[in-house]
Amino acid sequence: MSETVRTETINTALGALERVLDRRLVAALEVCARCGICAEACHVYASDPRPEHVPAARAERVRAVYRRQHDPLGKLFPWLVGAKDLTEPDLDALAEPAFASCTLCRRCTINCPFGVDTALIMRAARAMLTATDRAPEMLVMLADAAIARGEHAEEFREIYREIVAGLEHEAQERLGDPTLRIPLDQQGAEILYVGLSGAHTILPAAIIFHEANASWTLSMFEASNYGLFLGDPARAKAIARRIVDEAVRLGVKEVVLTECGHAYAALRWEAPNWFGGEFPFKVRSIVEVLADYVRDGRLALDPTANPEPVTYHDSCNLARNGGLIEAPRIVLRAAVQNFVEMNPHGKENFCCGGGGGLVAIPEWFETRMRAGRKKAEQIRAAGAPVVATSCENCNLQLTDLNGYYDLNVQVVGLMELVVNALLKARRRHAVPLPEAA
Amino acid sequence: MDAVQVNKTLDLKGLLCPIPVVKMAQAIKTVAVGEVIEATATDPGVMADIPAWCRTTGQELVRITRENGVISFAVRRVK
Ligand code: SF4
Ligand code: SF4
Repeated sequence: MSETVRTETINTALGALERVLDRRLVAALEVCARCGICAEACHVYASDPRPEHVPAARAERVRAVYRRQHDPLGKLFPWLVGAKDLTEPDLDALAEPAFASCTLCRRCTINCPFGVDTALIMRAARAMLTATDRAPEMLVMLADAAIARGEHAEEFREIYREIVAGLEHEAQERLGDPTLRIPLDQQGAEILYVGLSGAHTILPAAIIFHEANASWTLSMFEASNYGLFLGDPARAKAIARRIVDEAVRLGVKEVVLTECGHAYAALRWEAPNWFGGEFPFKVRSIVEVLADYVRDGRLALDPTANPEPVTYHDSCNLARNGGLIEAPRIVLRAAVQNFVEMNPHGKENFCCGGGGGLVAIPEWFETRMRAGRKKAEQIRAAGAPVVATSCENCNLQLTDLNGYYDLNVQVVGLMELVVNALLKARRRHAVPLPEAA
Repeated sequence: MDAVQVNKTLDLKGLLCPIPVVKMAQAIKTVAVGEVIEATATDPGVMADIPAWCRTTGQELVRITRENGVISFAVRRVK
């Protein structure tokens, strides 16, 4: 490859790093005592203890480049402070640590004595890789397909109406109630519910909203945001914009996101920065809404519908990064008979190993199965035959781990457990119709 | 009725988003340009996702239909 091309690529990568270099990232890049405490905190290292899996080691690849660009000593005497010019082979070698062996779970961050945010550094690495066409093709494709669906929303509207009509019928049958509706484009509804492409995120929500007598409407779009995984604020913003515009157009009071950790992180925590301000609506996870419904007595639940011991896997994005720890437990205690905590749990819970977009990248299946060993051990130790989660990414990964490690458990979403409990309560309370005269 | 010659078939039934699109994207690389993959899926989200994927990747959506909860579609590899 010619020298000119090399320079252009390196300049593009360095430019991408500069664009995301805010105070938070500078702090993460400048502070590290190399104490190694983060090693055991990382599920990837804990599952497969190799030096390159220590969070500080993977961050060091970016730190060395940063020092060369920004540290006065690094500019003059790079050898003295471990500063390094970025090369194309370095960039190539960054793809695995950034995209395959860091799920951006931030368990290292909360266990680091200085709070060093290695996930933020890895996201910057992802930005550099995406800018130089080194991001996993699948993530790029999924992000671009989501943007296309937003750009051609009118074309998809009729297809979507057809899909929703079919789902409405299914939900009516499941609940045994022909009055259930799945509203679409309902101006002035209080809630805009954003599911995923899969029907499994729409059907249970429709039943729950119907039973809670909620004012809601279904979004045309899906909650996932692959732009976030790419570390690409432009794509991430374009994907989020579809939902923001829809919420503003319909005048909703809040956007409720389905069971999806990174979707919540994207719209709740990141999007206000991309858009440069707060939104005229709240952003919540369905988990928070369910907890409110349970607390307010808006859902009649019969926990005997879920009699087997259930343990709960906290999603990194919802629990550790989003603070949603008590809400799912309020729901579980009402919906199941025997709730068993996993150890550790809450903000200290180990990542499932499939976060950061990894579950969508087929070529790294073995990598994520290896990284999930710690999670598999946790599940086995909990001893519950049912593992609940409120994140689609986690659900897919836990299902794969279940087969890979012969865990012999059932992986279910929180909404599914709620619907089971709700259907049983409804059947019990059902008043038989009087016989025809 | 449908004269399109199918070169490969894929069963994506039971798979949830985004896996049908991921599998399709993998499979398209295994056929030659001009060849057609026919697939069946059950998740209704596929009805919107596959056309969006074809549009962004430049592949041709030959047809997409839904009957009794099964979606079948055919995609021709263009590039
Ligand atoms: S725990 Fe924090 S300070 Fe210690 S090596 Fe890891 S990142 Fe550096
Ligand atoms: S963010 Fe998670 S996966 Fe990444 S280094 Fe830290 S603990 Fe490991």
